[in-house]
Amino acid sequence: MPVNLPGLVEHLREIAGRDAVLDRPEDLMLYEYDAGIRKSTPGAVVFPQNTEQVSQIMRLATALNVAVVARGAGTGLSGGSIPQAGGLVIAFSRMNRILEVDVENQRATVRPGVVNLQLSEHVSHLGLYFAPDPSSQKACTIGGNVAENSGGPHTLMHGVTVNHVTGVEVVMPSGEIVHFGGKAAESYGYDLTGFMVGSEGTVGIVTAITVKLLRKPEKIATLLGVFESVDDAALTVSAITAAGITPAALEMLDGWTLRTVEAFCHAGYPLDAGAVLLIELEGLREAVEEQAIAVREVCLSQKAREVRRAKDDDERALLWKGRKMAFAALGRVTPSYYTQDGVVPRSQIPAVMRHIGNVAKKYDLTIGNIFHAGDGNLHPLILFDMRNAEQFERVLSASSEILEFCIQCGGSITGEHGVGLEKRDLMSRLFTEEDLDVMISLRNAFNGRDILNPQKIFPTPRMCREITGPSQNPVLMQEGL
Amino acid sequence: MSTATIPTRFAADFRAICGAEHVSEDPAQLQAWNILGVAPALAVTPASADEIAGILRFANEHGLSVVPAGGFTQQQVGNPPPQIDVVLFTARLTAVEHYDVGDLTVGIGAGCTVAQLSAMVAKDGLFFAGDPAQPERSTIGGLLATGLYGPLRHGYGGLRDYCIGVRFVTGDGRKAKGGGRVVKNVAGYDMMKLLIGSQGTLGIITSASFKLFPAPRQTRTFVAVFPSAAEALQFRSQVLRSPLDPICLELVSPQAHELLAPGSPAAAGWSICLRAAGSETVLARYRTELGTAVVREMEGANEQGFWRTLSDFSPLAAERHPRSLLISMTLPVRDVQSVLNEVSTVAESNHFLFAAIGRVGIAHLLVSLWPAPDAEDSLVSFVDTVSGLRNRVPRDASLAVLHCPSETRHHISAWGPMPTDLESMRAVKMALDPKDILNRGRFLF
Repeated sequence: MPVNLPGLVEHLREIAGRDAVLDRPEDLMLYEYDAGIRKSTPGAVVFPQNTEQVSQIMRLATALNVAVVARGAGTGLSGGSIPQAGGLVIAFSRMNRILEVDVENQRATVRPGVVNLQLSEHVSHLGLYFAPDPSSQKACTIGGNVAENSGGPHTLMHGVTVNHVTGVEVVMPSGEIVHFGGKAAESYGYDLTGFMVGSEGTVGIVTAITVKLLRKPEKIATLLGVFESVDDAALTVSAITAAGITPAALEMLDGWTLRTVEAFCHAGYPLDAGAVLLIELEGLREAVEEQAIAVREVCLSQKAREVRRAKDDDERALLWKGRKMAFAALGRVTPSYYTQDGVVPRSQIPAVMRHIGNVAKKYDLTIGNIFHAGDGNLHPLILFDMRNAEQFERVLSASSEILEFCIQCGGSITGEHGVGLEKRDLMSRLFTEEDLDVMISLRNAFNGRDILNPQKIFPTPRMCREITGPSQNPVLMQEGL
Repeated sequence: MSTATIPTRFAADFRAICGAEHVSEDPAQLQAWNILGVAPALAVTPASADEIAGILRFANEHGLSVVPAGGFTQQQVGNPPPQIDVVLFTARLTAVEHYDVGDLTVGIGAGCTVAQLSAMVAKDGLFFAGDPAQPERSTIGGLLATGLYGPLRHGYGGLRDYCIGVRFVTGDGRKAKGGGRVVKNVAGYDMMKLLIGSQGTLGIITSASFKLFPAPRQTRTFVAVFPSAAEALQFRSQVLRSPLDPICLELVSPQAHELLAPGSPAAAGWSICLRAAGSETVLARYRTELGTAVVREMEGANEQGFWRTLSDFSPLAAERHPRSLLISMTLPVRDVQSVLNEVSTVAESNHFLFAAIGRVGIAHLLVSLWPAPDAEDSLVSFVDTVSGLRNRVPRDASLAVLHCPSETRHHISAWGPMPTDLESMRAVKMALDPKDILNRGRFLF
């Protein structure tokens, strides 16, 4: 891609301001990675302050044929915000205002750079909150949530990001600024709002987002089910679903993970347990009390050693602290870890947990599990040391085998992290060439020159033909990026 | 009535694709399947997505217009088609692709009716949350394509919330899918969102997967009646601010009450009908919170019947008042009151009466308007009523005319301005149906 970078940078400075562009190698290094395992250095980073600037930047990028990726906080796990080498990063940290809170309509309109948790904190005094709650919610941005269609523990009851977005302002590759949807729950016409969410930055650049705000529940009950084995806990997950109870959240931590977490943040998890389930119920006081009794019964009937209930907000916060700090805790025991995001039908959780255990043995790896059990969304964490190339090979093979199991039992390769770079070559295992061709024709309808986040989601045509099965290694095949 | 003719040699090609017995050229039958007076030249009933792909590739190549059809309950909605070459029925696509009781998911062929699906899952204590009008005829494919919903939309969300996968064939004959059969999945573009409410203009849906819900063990409906819409909506807002979590929250205007229950004692005012699910303890809490505003409770068959009839508001209104307008509006919640005021003003100035119902918690209104008995029934009054309303709905709203007298059809656009950028919608249409084969002339373009 022949790009006159000095010229590009000068133009960007004219558009966004002299202090709003980075192009020195030491600065660019900070923008070459996300929270996953891939790296690629951009040619420049620009920090627009308004939609008009984004529009001008897109016009410029299109004219110069420069690849563009939008970036929020860089907390993604699938390589979604990794730039093309030498490409342009549009960083949204200066477009971080909450534009409007409309209490009566229970909507907020925000810039993409607003941090997820900030919005909930901002409207908390009104008794409202923004439901999607990724584990990185203290850092991740709503723009990033929209791009990846992010989830979180409480999406079990409330749905993922797309279920909470009713309107977007979008800058197209041409620089044109368009609007999809608005404050109404639904409207006539194609649901391009829904289509934009989760399109991983390949269709347009979202510059404003109208989201639903939910009313805080009257009552929350948080229970901790303690089990001797992962198997017992996994069977309990299916039993809770089958009993017709929809918890707000239903999370599992296996024994290894809960001990690692407990050592780090003292959440009160029993150190000798095989697994725990963190179960949250919310709603009308009377309904929550009834469900809490039902959940306890189900847990005990599935051989729970004990079921604890948080007595107050502090205890509840502590139980959740363990869950939300888990990734930080892992940093103390391993140089690196690889997080997978496979999904299985909920009834398959016992089987997939056994499979993960076998895979760990087969490849002689430590795999922790801390995940959204209620909707079958796994997060096996495979520990490794980047300096050990042979071990890394085993990590990738193990990861492929786990995802292959998910695919075989009717699941998916990603529940909330997105396909990004990481899993694009596995897309051919879920979708036929014709399925992908239809999706690509939609991408091309908006982004025909493929300058918006190129190389994401879709396998390269070469890969499409060559990939044959799980023995192929998804990440190594991306070498050369 | 007009009938298109397509050369006989095309009929032979369709017979080759799906068998002679599944292609009809019977004029009487085709006339019965007319859409706003335009009869199709040919009817096909393919057995599979492959056959549909074959039909659409052929139609695409020859520029034939194709109308996808399920139970034919919504075919009179939309702008009049200039010509229909082929009507394609999904009736033979009824296979259950997967039914995972423990996972609360199901995948089903597009030709299955909503009533069939509901009955199938009810046996296992589960519940499909779609509640369109005429569920015995309405099909899964049609439900998705029209994006229809009923009162349960309030508590269970819309199709965009619980449809987790879709298979379809694009206008140019490509078989495609989005999503899958698990409840959480972000692999690939969200094709479900594009197809839901696309009015059959982007692809022909062949099957879909859904989240199911545990069937509520018991429900109760609380009815509160108020002298004015304003007071009813104030009560609505009070419910929305409360911890209560009803599964339906519906407004019923006095005329709508009469329309739904003809011959019953006329309702004195505007009702808020709230349906709650839960134990006796939970229902007792509802009773306490709702207070003295509640004048009536319904349960059992009586309650079932009430909601069933309410879901059928659209066909009931069109049947009772053939010379009427049926308008569907989606709004921001705050605007329900002002829009009802505008409906009242516009109706009055054109000497119309109106009946309104709506999911007032999410702000979807259905309004039937008809000329007052003593008023002049003129084309102009219908046209003026629609344009009057279109001029007065707020930004972010969208308004569709689902029914109007036949002679006014060519003067009243079924779809008005929409909040979503038209050129972007055109780009999507061009990507999936480049030759405008599907439902040509009936929706946006």
